Amino acid sequence: MILLVEDNPDDEALTLRALKKNNILNKVVVARDGAEALDFLFGTGVHAGRDAALLPEVILLDLNLPKLNGLEVLKQLRNHQQTSLLPVVILTTSNEDRDKIESYRLGCNSYIRKPVDFHQFSEAIRQLGIYWLVLNQAPPK
Amino acid sequence: MIPISKPPIAATGGRRQLWLVGAVAIGITCLVAALLHFLAHFYMLNQAEKSVKSLLLAQRGFHRYIQEVMHPTFYKLKGEGQVTEAFYAPEILSSSFIVRNQHAKYNEERKTAGLDEIYYKMAAFNPRNPVNQATPLEADLIRRFNADRSLKEYREELLIDGRDYLFVAIPFLDNQKKCMKCHGKRQDAPPGLQRLYPGEGGFNEKLGDIRAIESIRIPLQQHYSALHIVLAAVLVGMLSLATLLFLNTRLRNLVTDRTRDLEMEVAERRRMEEEVRAVNQTLEERVDKRTSQLAVANRELDAFAYSVSHDLRAPLRGIDGFTLALLEDYGDKLDETGRDYISRVRGGCRRMGDLIDDMLKLSRLSRGELRLHEVDLSAMAAEIVEELRRAEPARQVAVEVTPGVRVRGDGVLLRAVLENLLSNAWKFTAGTASPAILVGTRLDGDRQVYFVQDNGAGFDMAYADKLFGAFQRLHTEQEFAGNGIGLATVQRIIHRHGGTVWAEGVMGKGATFSFTL
Repeated sequence: MILLVEDNPDDEALTLRALKKNNILNKVVVARDGAEALDFLFGTGVHAGRDAALLPEVILLDLNLPKLNGLEVLKQLRNHQQTSLLPVVILTTSNEDRDKIESYRLGCNSYIRKPVDFHQFSEAIRQLGIYWLVLNQAPPK
Repeated sequence: MIPISKPPIAATGGRRQLWLVGAVAIGITCLVAALLHFLAHFYMLNQAEKSVKSLLLAQRGFHRYIQEVMHPTFYKLKGEGQVTEAFYAPEILSSSFIVRNQHAKYNEERKTAGLDEIYYKMAAFNPRNPVNQATPLEADLIRRFNADRSLKEYREELLIDGRDYLFVAIPFLDNQKKCMKCHGKRQDAPPGLQRLYPGEGGFNEKLGDIRAIESIRIPLQQHYSALHIVLAAVLVGMLSLATLLFLNTRLRNLVTDRTRDLEMEVAERRRMEEEVRAVNQTLEERVDKRTSQLAVANRELDAFAYSVSHDLRAPLRGIDGFTLALLEDYGDKLDETGRDYISRVRGGCRRMGDLIDDMLKLSRLSRGELRLHEVDLSAMAAEIVEELRRAEPARQVAVEVTPGVRVRGDGVLLRAVLENLLSNAWKFTAGTASPAILVGTRLDGDRQVYFVQDNGAGFDMAYADKLFGAFQRLHTEQEFAGNGIGLATVQRIIHRHGGTVWAEGVMGKGATFSFTL
């Protein structure tokens, strides 16, 4: 399972298309703001009743989000025992040094900048999928 | 107003000044007394000398009367042969005898009149009368008058038995042939005289040999009153004391006035200083305010750039992504022209994406702090040239880099400068037959100038000022690729280093980009 945290419906559609085109067939859950992402992971709010023990293999996290932004989501994940080791890939438009520094400081596992060119974007998603879903060994549950 | 403290010299200093004034007044009194005493004494002596001298001259006149009038008359009356020995009585013929005794009578008269006696004496080495024998002082004087005939008088104050005397002597050296009648050879003298003076006394003188002086000694009297002198001195002293006190008061008033003026001046200056300080404070506050406004503006600019980077790129990605999706999913429903349009849309997206990235890069250069350290420009240029060669191994460009050029600056930013200038030089020499690039430095006056020179396409100097504007291009995209942001970046970096950058070029002959740091 992949958790995609993305508020822009275009980017969401393009990401899903890129995943599909690259034959990444894992289930993709989309959260459209930071608060929803946390609700999903902890089984609270709109996702009350969900089994919080079921965690995604990787989270694709945008930084610029309504309600709680990506960095705040990351911070809460890392502070929570259950999600502290969860692989988090920042997938953002931002090329700002301070965003990169802050993301790594808060414990992201990777930082990918979304290219404008869809071919490049698609390639990035493909490599990302192969790496995190196939090559990478997730921490034991 | 700042309180003014009174200077502490006024009290003790005033008393000391009074003492000083008193001492000066006493000193002046003493000086005046001494001066008056001296003047009075001098005057008295002068007067005494004059009267003594007139008496001496009167005696001299008497001598002459006896010798020049009485003697010839006597001989005329009796005839030379008629003068018998009986006539040679000194009471009748000797001028010395007559004058001496006349003086004795004069003294008796003085005594009767209650006046002091006046001592009169005719002194000689070989006197006929022993009372005329010269004392050592008189003998000395006779010798001195003889030695120097220009001496006409001798004067001295003598202290005898506690009394002050004025002693005046005049020479009596001239004698004439007729004197030899009584003072020449004994056998030639009248027999009466020979009998009267049996010894050597007065005889055997030769012409010009009668050496003598006449002297008078009179007791000096206080012709002035000491009381008058003291009174005059005290009067002058008092006057000078009053003058000094007056001047002292004037001076003190003057000093007080000047001190007050100075204090007012000091107060005025302090007030002005206060004003300057207040103005400074206001200025500082204004600067602080402006600085914080600038900081806010900077933060806003930051937020703007951040927003541009996200919000402008995201829709662009949407356009590109969905256009591509259109092409992939519905490409078979489009003809060649439709597919060409789609590729043009995607090309536009790519260029706009690059533009946004460059704009962000440029805005980032204005932010953040400079990290200054020593940078080896030569090594940096060589590395960049190496990268350019690797990217286009087919091109043969002669690059010369002056070694050992070191500057102080931000390494990352200076690298961007050299990258831009060198890649421009590389790019614009593409059409040149034997392309060459020179990286070097020279001294222009007292400033060090660094430059990158090429023999490429060059540019028209008329557009030199447009080179460094953001998104300014002098060549078409078909001629040379680029978005016109490189030199704007260079200029911003050089300006941030406090330097200047300029370009010189000739169309088709090459360009030189120079900068200082």
